Amino acid sequence: MLSHISITCFAASYLVAWLLEITRLLFRSGVRGALMLGFASAGLVAHSLFLGYRALHAPGPPLSSSYDWYLLAAWMLAVAFLYLAWLYPRSGVGLFLWPLTLGLIVAAAFFADPEPIAPEPASQIWGAAHGIALLLGDVAVMFGFIGGLMYLVQAWRLKRHVLRDGGPRLPSLEWLERVNSRVVFVSAALVSVGFAAGIVLNRVGGRTLMPWTDPVVWSSGLMLAWLLAAAAFNVVYRPARHGRKVAYLTVASFGFLLLSLAVLLGLDTRHGGQKAERQRAAAEEGAR
Amino acid sequence: MKVQMVGCSHHHSGVEARERLAFGPDQVGPALDGFRARFPAAEAVLLSTCNRVEIYTAVEDDASGPSREALAEFMAEFHGVPIVEVFDELFERTGEDAVRHLFTVAASLDSMVVGEPQILSQVKQAYDLATQRNSAGPLTHGIFQAAVRAARRITNETTVHQRRVSIPSVAIGDFARGIFERFDDKRILVIGAGEMAEETLRYLEEEGAHDVTVVNRSYDRARELAERWRGKPAPWEELPAALTAADLVVSAVGASEPVITLAMFRSIEPAREQRPLFILDLAMPRNFDPAIGAALGVYLFSIDDLKAACQRNRAERDREAPHALRIIEQETARFMTEWRHRATAPIIRRLRESWEESKEDELRRLFNKLPLDARAQDEVRYTFDRLINKLLHPPLESLRTAAESGPPHHGLVHALKRLFNLKD
Repeated sequence: MLSHISITCFAASYLVAWLLEITRLLFRSGVRGALMLGFASAGLVAHSLFLGYRALHAPGPPLSSSYDWYLLAAWMLAVAFLYLAWLYPRSGVGLFLWPLTLGLIVAAAFFADPEPIAPEPASQIWGAAHGIALLLGDVAVMFGFIGGLMYLVQAWRLKRHVLRDGGPRLPSLEWLERVNSRVVFVSAALVSVGFAAGIVLNRVGGRTLMPWTDPVVWSSGLMLAWLLAAAAFNVVYRPARHGRKVAYLTVASFGFLLLSLAVLLGLDTRHGGQKAERQRAAAEEGAR
Repeated sequence: MKVQMVGCSHHHSGVEARERLAFGPDQVGPALDGFRARFPAAEAVLLSTCNRVEIYTAVEDDASGPSREALAEFMAEFHGVPIVEVFDELFERTGEDAVRHLFTVAASLDSMVVGEPQILSQVKQAYDLATQRNSAGPLTHGIFQAAVRAARRITNETTVHQRRVSIPSVAIGDFARGIFERFDDKRILVIGAGEMAEETLRYLEEEGAHDVTVVNRSYDRARELAERWRGKPAPWEELPAALTAADLVVSAVGASEPVITLAMFRSIEPAREQRPLFILDLAMPRNFDPAIGAALGVYLFSIDDLKAACQRNRAERDREAPHALRIIEQETARFMTEWRHRATAPIIRRLRESWEESKEDELRRLFNKLPLDARAQDEVRYTFDRLINKLLHPPLESLRTAAESGPPHHGLVHALKRLFNLKD
């Protein structure tokens, strides 16, 4: 039965939850909150079962393809939605969060490779540390992006004195600022750990599997450099801890994340999994 | 069954009349005890607030309830006021009108400031006290539970309660809450000592703010205000330093020129390190140069901005009012249907009991005549039960339909009594 759960099941539930969230801009309803939580929860259950099934039936290490990682990142955002919607029922956080979640699911369904990236892992421990830390770091960056966007929208509304003219009741600037500030450090730390684990993984066994020129390596390195600079900026320059600057930092971090995701999906890289390997081999065969 | 309300409110009576009839917190209990002693068959709940004094009564038998005159006399006697002086101040609602009135009151649609949230808790307290004093019973329980349900529906399904309409409440509840998550760690600076500033401080205190600094041209007045709000006064010369430290500023100084110019703000801006600053400029002419509002992290609200927000909220409330009133009508109709249906319960019970008796007689006679085993007896008993239920269904359905369509359906109840010879 679990094998019958498809991406469409949970994507459709999330889509309905998002559409319900959008209706918040149009009219009030006493049952919308419950419906939204219901659809999001149903989607999350299906999503969890789908990932669980893939993990149990994976030929190699569980959930080790880029396809799985996109879906795991989407799963974490869906969990974050439920948590925030429960704590702040009228915050409208879903307006910002669902597009990103659905975007990750669409990227997984249409662009990502379902084959494991490293079917012959030099070290599964380092491989897991590399994958998990980068995944969490990326989710933190996405979360920061959502928080940054919400901050900018809320600040814009307050500056123009139009806070309650329709639209969702966003969290306070103070709360968003605190979240964004923490996200800068958390994402920098997680991506650093993930990157360092990747370097170690690459050296295990005394051979270099992944060159520094690999597009995913340099684009991730670029994102890491930015995150470290943002964290340092936050520590050294006190005004960067307040107001829009911290929101700009988190929004810009998402730009670097998008770049590395675009590189992963679009360019020829050894992070592309077996499909990329097969394509490369076929191309070399054709050239001969 | 009869439900009734007699009382006075801000709509019909002046403050003096309401004061004469009001029951203080210590008086409500004894008043309910007195009511119970005087009208033992009636249930009562007494609601006494600044804006209304209302006594709700309910009785099983229409004839045994107190009349408007009896209730007016009771209230006048309790307060030692000649009844002729207060009788005309009292109005009466009975039956469905009384229920609708209570629902409207509980939902804060009858309040002086429509949507104010205190009234629902006052209604609940009034009912709780009546329960403690044994003056409430199953009838008032049903009515007050339904009133709370109607009020909650209006809170959930309309924005009537969310729309603040006074300037300080909008400033703090709508805008300051959009900036700050909490107020207990915020530094509040009050410039001037006007009434509006003090009113705003009241809202801030409710939100937990306690670090208040008052700056005024007259140090003595600053000290007076600071003492009232457990804050600290500061001399006028320390205004720039106080502004540097502040998170929230309430300004209400009577001055023809801005007290805080852009140049002055620029001089303290670096020391603030772009911390958010919420400024409520409640003075006219304004105390803050409007150009300060463009500075990073500054959210400047003048009295006109807040007035505009109040007007928008008021208009929004007016738009929501028909929706809220529709909910009141729906809940009233729902309650009245249940109420009327409940009134027929004794008749239905008696009818069923009478038929059950006949059934048992017939079964006894049958089982004595026929040698049936236990299984066959159960089958026969089951068939009789089904027959009774089928025969009872049409009259019960007619009663239910009559209860839904509205009063009075005494004729139907009476007909049932006569047709089946049911005695009270």
